[in-house]
Amino acid sequence: MESNGCEFRPELYYDKEYQIWLRREEDGTITVGMTDISQTIAGKILHARVRRPGTMRPVGKPVATIESGKWAGPIPNVFDCVIVEGNQQVLEDPNLLNIEPYEAWIARVRPVAPISDVLAGLVTGEQAAQGYAERCRREDIKCTRGIR
Amino acid sequence: MMPQWRLLDTGLRSAAENMALDRTLLESAQAGACNTLRFLRFRPSALIGFHQSPSQELHLEYCREQGIDVSRRITGGGALYCDEGQIGWELFLDRRTFDTADMLAIAGRVCDMAVQGLRRLGIDAAFRPRNDIEVAGRKIGGTGGAFDGEALLYQGTVLVDFDVERMLKVLRIPREKLADKAIASARERITTLNELAGGRIPLEAVQEALTEAFGEGFGVEFRRQELTIGEQELFARYRLEMASQAWVYETDRPQLDVATGSALRKTAGGLVRAMLLVDRPRERIKQAFITGDFFVNPKRAIVDLEAALRDCSCERLPEIVEEFFARHPAQMLLLTPADITAVIGEALARANAVAS
Repeated sequence: MESNGCEFRPELYYDKEYQIWLRREEDGTITVGMTDISQTIAGKILHARVRRPGTMRPVGKPVATIESGKWAGPIPNVFDCVIVEGNQQVLEDPNLLNIEPYEAWIARVRPVAPISDVLAGLVTGEQAAQGYAERCRREDIKCTRGIR
Repeated sequence: MMPQWRLLDTGLRSAAENMALDRTLLESAQAGACNTLRFLRFRPSALIGFHQSPSQELHLEYCREQGIDVSRRITGGGALYCDEGQIGWELFLDRRTFDTADMLAIAGRVCDMAVQGLRRLGIDAAFRPRNDIEVAGRKIGGTGGAFDGEALLYQGTVLVDFDVERMLKVLRIPREKLADKAIASARERITTLNELAGGRIPLEAVQEALTEAFGEGFGVEFRRQELTIGEQELFARYRLEMASQAWVYETDRPQLDVATGSALRKTAGGLVRAMLLVDRPRERIKQAFITGDFFVNPKRAIVDLEAALRDCSCERLPEIVEEFFARHPAQMLLLTPADITAVIGEALARANAVAS
């Protein structure tokens, strides 16, 4: 699915601004990545950094930071969690975030609260599809995928 | 009535204090504070970008000996040296101030306003993507940004005066490899207001010109104000935190990740020398310097090419050089883009051959 050329995957969970996508894993962890919208807005990503495994990250303290075209900032964190691992491939070649945003996950985290509580604060499926398309329209975001 | 934004002038401060104010004001903007323009100045300081490593970017021992502050910014971009001779300007803004979400476009718009400010002083400035403000191909200021949720910080410097020799000693540019030539070529790439204006322009005049240009650009009026009580409390906390080794060295990596290589070739068009800084684990050219006695018109083509090569993937080198000259045709007599690629390629091979 897509809107304005921005790819959307209905099976994933999202924050309310569609900055990040989240996927529930069988082992109780959550995988976090950037949406097509976020990688487009950011432009070519030159650095990505994830906090050390085992680090506790409360809401508002980022799991990861990125840098693109001189802008540095956090990948937002919407629930209390502990870092399980960062994606080494992405840390070594952050440009992958621009190429395959839904394959190039950034970090895997373990939520502090029960996973059902965490997911209840996120959006998914049809509701997410509408919200995602709405943000693309409202801010006139047209997605482009980066090359090396 | 025009909307009013806050104007802050925090004067001359240490690196840690200035970094702490950046963080304080960005956090305050995120909490909904009024959009703010801040002017700042630095005691001699070596500042690395948010994701950079102090050991890779700086001659730390020299900084210690000379009492130069070392700190890590919250903004992206490269390492820089600054002292009392530069004026820093910063905008703390709500992202929705702009009608685009595109970060590159936002940076470009802010830089264009800073350029207009310098033009008010009679300086023929222009914006060179991605992050430099230049006059006839010579850098007169750099910029960088940080974001957090809906809040943006975009900052830049204006070189009123600048100590090139000291910068070369502070930054880990392999000056040993070029000695006098490095100083000469760095001088050619940098200019200052004092040099261009042929005399002193008072700091106040520069700040006034920038304030007017940002005011006009955003359609607002600035009103001089101070930090709020809440900001003062945050600042008191962050000035300690950001003076700590933990903050500055959080991203430190061993020095050897960065390799240098240089090559010299006599081509039909003249002598071409290339020197490269290569980030080997990431297989990227960090920086390229191209010098020589070849003819090129416009002269700035070479600095622009250097800017285009910044942070590019090593394997894309030929493509980038080719694309660059296709987009910016330059007269080079007998020198061809392929010659330039070959010399840079040789420097790259040497950098990669150095044992780590």
